[in-house]
Amino acid sequence: MSNPESDRPGGSARLEARRLIESCGLRFEPDFDDLAELYDQGHLVACGARAGYVLKMLAIAPSHQGGDLLGELLTRLIQSGLGAGQDTLFVFTPPQNVPSFQALNFRLLAAHGQAALLEHGPGFPAYLAAQSARITPGRNGAVVINGNPFTLGHRHLVEVAARQVDRLYLFVVREDRSVFPFEVRFRLAREATAHLANVTVLDTSRYAVSAGTFPSYFMKRLDGLAEAQMRMDLHLFTQVLAPPFHLAARFAGSEPLCPATAAYNRVMAEVLGEAGIDMVEVPRCEAGGLPISATRVRAAFAAGDFQALEALVPPATLDYLRSPAARAVAERLSQMEGT
Amino acid sequence: MQIRCKASAGTMQSSDLMVVVEPAETLRIDIDSTVKKQYEHLIRARISATLEELEVSAGHIQISDRGALDYAIAARVETAIRRAAKE
Repeated sequence: MSNPESDRPGGSARLEARRLIESCGLRFEPDFDDLAELYDQGHLVACGARAGYVLKMLAIAPSHQGGDLLGELLTRLIQSGLGAGQDTLFVFTPPQNVPSFQALNFRLLAAHGQAALLEHGPGFPAYLAAQSARITPGRNGAVVINGNPFTLGHRHLVEVAARQVDRLYLFVVREDRSVFPFEVRFRLAREATAHLANVTVLDTSRYAVSAGTFPSYFMKRLDGLAEAQMRMDLHLFTQVLAPPFHLAARFAGSEPLCPATAAYNRVMAEVLGEAGIDMVEVPRCEAGGLPISATRVRAAFAAGDFQALEALVPPATLDYLRSPAARAVAERLSQMEGT
Repeated sequence: MQIRCKASAGTMQSSDLMVVVEPAETLRIDIDSTVKKQYEHLIRARISATLEELEVSAGHIQISDRGALDYAIAARVETAIRRAAKE
């Protein structure tokens, strides 16, 4: 009953998919890597897309619901993911569809209000197994940073937080959507906090501030969709990350400049509070009368102002910024300035 | 037989399973199943027996099972292994 997409003229197939997706009350988003389509007697009856590790626009015609088309659709999308090196796939769905996905071995990660997030594949259990040696009991805390790059502000936040908990997990956002590559951001966070015995630096994988669950973070956008993503990200924190790491508190720098980050802090206090986790806002430290931020560091670096950088970043970051390896980043930054 | 590359077999249809195998230094079998609570030990036993028959001693075997019968489990695992061994 199913034919590959190539059997049909590309344009009309896409139009048919769009019609089916929209008839199921979903929004058609053209930015996907793969579209799986199932036909019955020449008619499109089910389709779904994969964008990176996120499945979306899964739609089954009302006349064909109740069968196992979802299983067939997911076979295609899981194979497509495996071919692209994405073994774990995420799906967002309304809460009433959670059982249908659980029947396909998807595990529920987090749910709130009108949305649930599930994953299929090695996923969180594999991530946790890889970190298990670093998990210690007690009243632990977390700081989640992008660290693009690591500043004296980050170091101050980590130092203040580390004094208040048994172990502080410093989660560095894995997503490579920033000018400084993950490997560099992670290494600088490690080197700049090496003097703190109870701080462990971890990779967030995709379980905090990832482009899959919280894409608006990377666009510094602030609207209804951004707030829904923010909430999902924070529910992921309280429901998935907090229990195994024994997290009783999360620390964040106060945000005087960026409205999107300020909103994130506000929602964080609310969602974490409901889950019985303390949200501690640490006043941001200043240099030259202005708050230290990674944005400020990037601007100084793009301008080649190393004198200013000395007051903004720890030695590890300064050494990196002075190294030949950082030249490619400087070039990217100046290109971004130009556009 | 040696798992030389990543390979998969099977589907996500009801009563079937999807098997993904990839090279690893030790043998690890991860099972997700809709009937995990009741039958995980039997699924694991069938996979282990199949791996033994094929003389596979190392690799990461991931199973997403939707209530497949044991001969289907054996067939899917064998297919994935033969693909991964590039036979």
